[in-house]
Amino acid sequence: MSEMRTIKDMPVNDMFVSGHGACAGCGMAVAVKNIMRILGADTTVYVPASCLVVISAMYPTSNFRTPYLFTAFENTGAVTTGIRAAQRRRGLSSTVVGLAGDGGTFDIGLQALSGAAERNEDILYVCLDNEGYMNTGIQRSGATPFGAWTTTTPVGTKVEGKREFKKDIMAIIAAHDPPYAASLSIAHFNDFIKKVEKAKAKKGFRFLHVMTPCVPGWRSDPSMTVEIARMAVETGMWTLYEIEDGEARTTYKPQTMLPVTDYLKLQGRFRHMENGDVAKLQEWLCAKWYLHYGNDMEQPVCATFEKMKRVRHPHEEQLHFI
Amino acid sequence: MKVMVISADHAVAYAAKLARTEVVPSFPITPQTLIVEQLAEFINDGELDADFIPADSEHSVMSMAVGASAGGVRVFTATSSQGLALMHEMLYAVPQSRLPIVMANVNRSLGAASGIWVEYNDSMAERDSGWLQVYVEDNQEALDATLMAFRLAEDRRVLLPVMVCLDGFILSHTVERVDLPEQEEVDRFLPKFVPYNMLDPSDPKLMNPIVPPEYAMEMRYQLDRAVEHSREVIAEVDELFAREFGRSYGGLIDTYRLEDAEYAMLTLGTATGLARQVVDELRSEGKKAGLIKLRFMRPFPFKELCAACRDLKALGVFDRSASFNGGGPVYTEVAAALCNVPTTVTGHVAGIGGRDITPEHMREMYDIVEKASRGEKVRPVTWHGLRGDME
Amino acid sequence: MYEVRFHGRGGQGAVMAAQALAEAAVIEGRHAQAFPYFGAERRGAPVMAFARIDDRKISIKSQVYEPDLLVVLDESLLDIEPVARGLKKDGKAVINTRKLPTEIDLGVEVECATVPATSIAMEFLKAPIVNTAILGAVVRMCDLVSMESMQQAIANRFGEKFGETAAKANAAAAAAAHAQAAIGRCKGRRPLAQKKEWLPAWNEIPIGTTLDERIVDGVTVGPGGARQNLTGSWRVQTPRYDKEKCVRCQRCWFSCPEGCIKREEDEYVRWDLNYCKGCGICAQVCPVKAIDMIKGGSR
Repeated sequence: MSEMRTIKDMPVNDMFVSGHGACAGCGMAVAVKNIMRILGADTTVYVPASCLVVISAMYPTSNFRTPYLFTAFENTGAVTTGIRAAQRRRGLSSTVVGLAGDGGTFDIGLQALSGAAERNEDILYVCLDNEGYMNTGIQRSGATPFGAWTTTTPVGTKVEGKREFKKDIMAIIAAHDPPYAASLSIAHFNDFIKKVEKAKAKKGFRFLHVMTPCVPGWRSDPSMTVEIARMAVETGMWTLYEIEDGEARTTYKPQTMLPVTDYLKLQGRFRHMENGDVAKLQEWLCAKWYLHYGNDMEQPVCATFEKMKRVRHPHEEQLHFI
Repeated sequence: MKVMVISADHAVAYAAKLARTEVVPSFPITPQTLIVEQLAEFINDGELDADFIPADSEHSVMSMAVGASAGGVRVFTATSSQGLALMHEMLYAVPQSRLPIVMANVNRSLGAASGIWVEYNDSMAERDSGWLQVYVEDNQEALDATLMAFRLAEDRRVLLPVMVCLDGFILSHTVERVDLPEQEEVDRFLPKFVPYNMLDPSDPKLMNPIVPPEYAMEMRYQLDRAVEHSREVIAEVDELFAREFGRSYGGLIDTYRLEDAEYAMLTLGTATGLARQVVDELRSEGKKAGLIKLRFMRPFPFKELCAACRDLKALGVFDRSASFNGGGPVYTEVAAALCNVPTTVTGHVAGIGGRDITPEHMREMYDIVEKASRGEKVRPVTWHGLRGDME
Repeated sequence: MYEVRFHGRGGQGAVMAAQALAEAAVIEGRHAQAFPYFGAERRGAPVMAFARIDDRKISIKSQVYEPDLLVVLDESLLDIEPVARGLKKDGKAVINTRKLPTEIDLGVEVECATVPATSIAMEFLKAPIVNTAILGAVVRMCDLVSMESMQQAIANRFGEKFGETAAKANAAAAAAAHAQAAIGRCKGRRPLAQKKEWLPAWNEIPIGTTLDERIVDGVTVGPGGARQNLTGSWRVQTPRYDKEKCVRCQRCWFSCPEGCIKREEDEYVRWDLNYCKGCGICAQVCPVKAIDMIKGGSR
């Protein structure tokens, strides 16, 4: 098979067919549809409790043309381990993929995920990150960004939105030293394709982290889903990189960091944020930016946070981001 | 056949090896550990060709078991107590998905007020999960019941998981003479595993999606019927086993000196062996005492019990766990089964948290049942070996 | 007992409307209940909600099968499901539409109020949330509750969630709808066919909650079977494609959540509108503005 470089090289055969029940403009559907196109028919899918199971697998039908299994919320790393063990014993080379949400990955599924990564199971784990428990009606998860409104981080008179910053799941995965881990954006098409293809080709534990904007959860316009994902990268709210056999590599570096407000203003979940909180988020972002991209280039939006350049991330060495 | 002196944990591990188990997800918990340690040894010594998966928790163990069984191979695992409780969520996925997983549960009390000693409150809490449950009396039965569990689980009329329950320490860590069958005999008894439903990209199947109200009820009834129909398969497997190995266990229940008995105890697990001895003593005193050994808690032997108790004036039911303010779970179910039989049923809770059950305790149970058989008023439920007067 | 069934799309507020109606009845000292159809529907998918009103405590919790009043929050639903099924012969209907009652074919000929609730909502609330406006028409159509109680109920329910200003705007929308509603008799020509469903007996269900792809009772089930869900019926705006401008970059094909954009051999694209939900991502990602979105769900 020749290497996929652009959209035009992608297979046109849909393994995740039309007719699913996702909201109009669902970013997760964009990601799943394209991941399944690249993984192809020789794939076995496990989906834990999530929006994905509800929108795509309601007895007696599913949108996946591949074998499909669902059981519970917290066990993607474990069930996929079992499936792969059985298929290996039966001589099957099928890609076993777990398609989990951020709640199922960052929070309730972290233990089983860590177990699978530590044992270097031959599975592909995809985290479809819409930054909250959207299936149950928009509750906060460890992936929800600072300041965001959710139904469990409401904008109250004393506390406004989430007070904690997003968990760095990629650093946790990197600490397991997997053969491959990458962060993806649905707005960076060619980068997305290359990473899914690379993950498919590798053996052992592979992890893909995809940002999937959620129209009702992020209170955004359905047409803006891809644009929001793009703006996340330009503001540093999302970074595109991969870790391959212990080496980390940035796959896309924006020239100039856009102010976080350019990202926030596209979404109702941040509408309430006042200057203090926006500055706090911007400061956190500047630290993240310098960690990932180095501090050789001045970023005007970070001018007030000069000290951030000297802050070292505890996993910096391990991540090879020096 | 080879004669060995081994613990019930090791006997179970030998059974899983003889069954040519292919995937063993595992997580250690006392007093189950000897089973998975022994299997790890078999695998690392090349005596068993299987994947040993060291999981991060029992929840993951059962998740892996589901994945591997759905992936089309024979799966065995073992757990105990808190481990079984942590599996609870995943246990329910197995029967409805009709995956024939076999698991040993080494009975141990479930906390709080927990220790590492035997009590049945771990497995009894799972009796409505759809798993078939068999309780064994000694190490030989632990081995034999595990072998039969595979045959039963994989029968196309059943396709249900089976939990083999054995007393922690009293069996798990006690060595006894065990006759170990030859591999060829076992291969004749237990055919090569052929999965019914399987995740295979060459024949894609949708397994276990969200099931809306339009279908769930029919699926539950289908499961209800499968558990019911396993009754006849249990009897068949017992006969088949007897033909191959010369040992028979009676199927759902077994009886001892019950033919002309006027009163009897119903026991399960290791208490049965003790009860046999007490029955012999009582018989030698001229008393018409008998014994019913409950082997399967699921499927529950409603019909068999009614038939067995037809001529009994009173039946005492032993429980090694409590349902709270109503005796134990076995008592409750037996009483329901016998509601149309004129036998008086009494409950007897003993051996809680691993408290040793002595011949005196068992004798005390029989004495109460004898009184009940004479029409005397007795407590509906008695806790034996309890300090302080019962309320 | 008076029974009401609301039909809308996820996000339109059918449940809130049912709750407000129930609250209005309670304000007048009566008993009432309101509840959604407990599904897993997402934004845009057809949904239902129910309400019951009585002078005595209502003990029944079943769904409503033979409503006295039918409230349709989205006219396009008439074409995709038999919304009027079970509607009593002497029942009534309230429909959000610009048309007159006589221009509506509900499938059952009943007394009917029509109201342009969407444009009223856009005017008063600056959003197509039609649930409050349609309640004004409900008051006009039936003798159920007074306008005063209804406005109080709207203020209570919406004020608590969105604040006093929003409550006032919603109450004003209801008043406008009350004034603008047209009353007449709708047509009953449309056949109310039930959706084809596979409803097997317990012993006909393949064992193990497992299915392969097959067609049973005319229904495709198993892997890929969900393609029979024609989600294009959710659409309220439709992409328009200018092939002349297209540079064949395939960004729209990649970015479409529905997979309803098809790549032709010549690398131009076409839409399978059976599935297009009208999100507008394709128009947004197109680098040469070869796609724009036009109002309405038509082809």
